[in-house]
Amino acid sequence: MITLTDFLIVSVMLFCIGLYMIVSKRNAIQILIGIELILNAAILNLVAFGKHDATNNSGQVFALFAIVLAAATTAVALAIILNVYRKYKTIDPGKINNLRD
Amino acid sequence: MNNTLSHTDLTLVTCALAAVASPLLAALVNFCLPVKSKIAGWASTVAILLSCVLAAKVFAGVWNNPQIHVQQVWFTIGHTKVYAGFLLNNLSVLMLLLVSVIALPVHIYSTAYMKHDDRYSRYFTYLSFFCFSMLALVVVDNLVLFYAFWELVGFSSYLLIGFWFTKDKAVQANKKAFIMNRIGDIGLLSAIIILFAMYGTFDINALFGHEGMLSISAIRDGQWAIQPDLLPRSYGSIWLSGGASGSLPAIWQCIAVTGIVLAVAAKSAQFPLHTWLPDAMEGPTSVSALIHAATMVAAGVFLLGRVYPLFTQTELTVLACIGCFTAFMAATIALTQNDLKRVLAYSTISQLGFMVLGMGVGAYSSSLFHLVTHAFFKCLLFLVAGIVIHEMQHVKEENNLDIDPQDISLMGGLRKKLPLTFVVALIGGLALIGLPLTSGYLSKDGILIQAFEWSDGKAAWFKIIPVMALLTSWLTAFYVARLIFKVFFGEFRLPQIYPGLKMHMGDGGWQYKLPLVLLALCCFFPLFSFNPFGYEQAWLSSGLRLHGLAKFGSIYHLSIPALVNIFSLLVIYAAYIIYVKQSTFSFPQTGFFYRLSYNQWYFDRIYKRVFVKPILGLGKFMYWFDKNIIDGFIHLLAAVSRFVAGFAAWADKYIVDGFLHMVAAIVQSIGNFARKFQGGKVQYYLFSMLAIVLLLFILKILI
Repeated sequence: MITLTDFLIVSVMLFCIGLYMIVSKRNAIQILIGIELILNAAILNLVAFGKHDATNNSGQVFALFAIVLAAATTAVALAIILNVYRKYKTIDPGKINNLRD
Repeated sequence: MNNTLSHTDLTLVTCALAAVASPLLAALVNFCLPVKSKIAGWASTVAILLSCVLAAKVFAGVWNNPQIHVQQVWFTIGHTKVYAGFLLNNLSVLMLLLVSVIALPVHIYSTAYMKHDDRYSRYFTYLSFFCFSMLALVVVDNLVLFYAFWELVGFSSYLLIGFWFTKDKAVQANKKAFIMNRIGDIGLLSAIIILFAMYGTFDINALFGHEGMLSISAIRDGQWAIQPDLLPRSYGSIWLSGGASGSLPAIWQCIAVTGIVLAVAAKSAQFPLHTWLPDAMEGPTSVSALIHAATMVAAGVFLLGRVYPLFTQTELTVLACIGCFTAFMAATIALTQNDLKRVLAYSTISQLGFMVLGMGVGAYSSSLFHLVTHAFFKCLLFLVAGIVIHEMQHVKEENNLDIDPQDISLMGGLRKKLPLTFVVALIGGLALIGLPLTSGYLSKDGILIQAFEWSDGKAAWFKIIPVMALLTSWLTAFYVARLIFKVFFGEFRLPQIYPGLKMHMGDGGWQYKLPLVLLALCCFFPLFSFNPFGYEQAWLSSGLRLHGLAKFGSIYHLSIPALVNIFSLLVIYAAYIIYVKQSTFSFPQTGFFYRLSYNQWYFDRIYKRVFVKPILGLGKFMYWFDKNIIDGFIHLLAAVSRFVAGFAAWADKYIVDGFLHMVAAIVQSIGNFARKFQGGKVQYYLFSMLAIVLLLFILKILI
């Protein structure tokens, strides 16, 4: 029997991995992946909590919204990263330390 | 100026002023000329000629007439008015004339003698300045002015003696002369101050004149005071200016006299301050002639003449002793010297001793008479010496010899080469010895006779003084004869030592001859007296006679001159035998007395040991003390303060600054710490945010 706690544990693990990736990776793409992992952890929570919700499937709906929003933001972020790469010839966020034109 | 002054008197005073001022003018003009300018000589000579003429006019007007005394307020201190002016009496006009008359031939002579000197115009500047100082010295009426010119005479003689300042000996000599004279000056200054304290005036006439303050003061009961019973009837009351007491303990009179005697000893080269004069021979010979004749060294005797009433009988006796000893000592030294000018210098000291002796025994007029006559023949002898040295120098330079041109042992037989010089030297020498028909006879015998008369009726030892004087005059005969025989007789010794010498010697031009002839003529008796054998008849002698000095005839008037002259002739003959005939007899050069005389009685050495060495030692000690103790103390202070300053610097640097730096460092590290969170790295922001959130959670759990 899979309980809510198991979902939460997986979610926490995903969150932690995501957070760790955001903080430690030197590659903007991997950071984005880390963000996706955190989002996924949150979405997993939404879906898991949705089972106990009075309204039907509201958790899944929120999850869908969140996935769409995440895809949108990631698209924007990828565009930014591509622009950054063009300007700085790197996508290491540690080396991008100014916001000049 | 006095309103009572008549027109003629005013003219005379103006003349005197002009006579004094013209050498000063010449000195100023010469000072502005380039150093080699030949105009200088003639400017000075013309100035002194003018002085001479004016002095003669003043002399003719004042001699044996009432004295002229003019004065003007010079300055006022409080209620004391100090006057400056001229005092023209027999003594001062005589000196005025004498100084200018003696200076004239010396100037003429100098124009030739100094012709090739590089600093020709400087020489005449100094010479004129010297003459000005001396002329002013004799006519001023005031002790302060007297002192000023006394100093100026000393100063200008310093310049003249050290004229060849590249010669080390000349520099030493002028320093010595200057220092010796300073000792005397201290004496004179203290005497002046004491006299002012006593009488409240500097006026020579009011102090020493006829019926002056000194004639009415005396020492009684240990007090030196104005004695009312000595006041002449014409004096209603005595007025003393400036709050002077008119009464002092007797010791002050003694100190004043000692000061005067010191001053006289320094200027007139008396024992114990005589040692500068022989060294002063390092100056040009013409300068020696002037200094020795009527000016510098005569100033001391002149001072004695001015302040004569100050002396008491005892003090006069001491003065006589000093003069007598000086005369004798200098004469013995002159016997053995080989330097031509040194012999003459010691002769001058000896003759000055005679003058001081004369003053001491009360032969006031004879003493001054001797001063006058001595001026002519000593000046003449020095000019002769100058010519001889000049010619010897020529011989030396032409042949490149290494000899001393002043050494008489190298001369001899010069009478054939320098005939005129020889004749005048003979005249001068005879006058110096004091043989009859010369002026020296008149004045010297006057002193001797009066010295004998003075010792009569006194204790037996008083006879020592005239006897020594008598002895001295024979010694004079000997050394003068030795000098003349060695220089002018016999064979010229220089060619014998250096065979094949080229020699061109001669008397020189008219600038040499004229002064010699002029001075030689003044060495004979007619200028001073119609009777060649009686000093009493000399006009000069009678004109200077002091009031109240009785004159009486005695057996001495006949015996002394006879004794002196017969013996002198014998002495001269003995000298002739020794130095010209070169007989077997000669003086042993090793005896004690020879060495004593040759080394000038060891005075220089004694002074060196007794005064110079300890003073140098004291100076060295002072230097050491200054260097080590005082400087050491200062250095210690410096070290201490440097240490304190160093500590302060250290404290400032490490404690004060250190604290500030620490504060700054803390702030900086805090800042750095804070800055680290804003490195521009997004991930780091996140990380730190995470860390803080975690920290907060942990804290929250713990608390």
